[in-house]
Amino acid sequence: MKKGVLILVFGLVAATVAYGCIYFICTASARNMQSSNQPELAWLKEEFNLSGSEFKRVSELHAAYLPQCGEMCREIDAQNVKLQALLSGTTSMTHEITAALAESSRLRSECQTMMLRHFFQVSQAMPPEQGRRYLAWVKEKAFLPDFGMPGNKTPDGPPESTRQ
Amino acid sequence: MNTIQPNEDDKKLSKLLHEWKVEASLPPRFQEQVWRRIEKAEHAPNAPSVWTVIAHWVGTVLPRPALAASYVAILLAIGVTAGWAQAQQETAQVKADLADRYVRVLDPYQAPRH
Repeated sequence: MKKGVLILVFGLVAATVAYGCIYFICTASARNMQSSNQPELAWLKEEFNLSGSEFKRVSELHAAYLPQCGEMCREIDAQNVKLQALLSGTTSMTHEITAALAESSRLRSECQTMMLRHFFQVSQAMPPEQGRRYLAWVKEKAFLPDFGMPGNKTPDGPPESTRQ
Repeated sequence: MNTIQPNEDDKKLSKLLHEWKVEASLPPRFQEQVWRRIEKAEHAPNAPSVWTVIAHWVGTVLPRPALAASYVAILLAIGVTAGWAQAQQETAQVKADLADRYVRVLDPYQAPRH
């Protein structure tokens, strides 16, 4: 009886240890990405199989883009505040509102142009096939065909079929 | 007050019972079959409990080398498969979150506002 119980317990302990080891090994890459300084760039490197030099170039482009993006965020926020103030103080359409809406549209267009330019630069820093895959994915994520309306969810990650 | 005496009741009941006749016939060898069933029920062993069966199995069957090795191998396979599946699921979730984060960092219209 004692031997049987020992075997029973040994099997359960072995299964638990095997579970823990495999889980630890298989989640190592995810943990490494999360613990890096810029997890989103670490993800980009792994997802698109970037070499050291390609990743360096992509990181430089990323770092150069972020200040422009921050400035654009400030302009959009300021324009939104201005538009809200105009909308809250009137019950009819005014020239000021028309002008503010036009300015919002101009900002959106400028923002999308800036983003698209960055996406093209990043894709060109990747191997051709990965660059095409990156562009297809990021355009879908950033330029939503449904303009962010609920109910139409875009895929979370790039398509698997063309990965190298 | 009841005027009928008890022995008079007995007589009436006895008379009634004598008049009662059973018309249905018993199946053939009825008595023999009844005794056989009684005998079978007396000799039937009590059904063992689940714990008794498990304890017996652990004590006598599991220690056999081939069975013990199979048992450990199956549990190891289950552990490995479960660990791998759980890791795949969590890694996919982390990647999806990071992909969303990448786009939010670059798109002012999706960037979180402070």
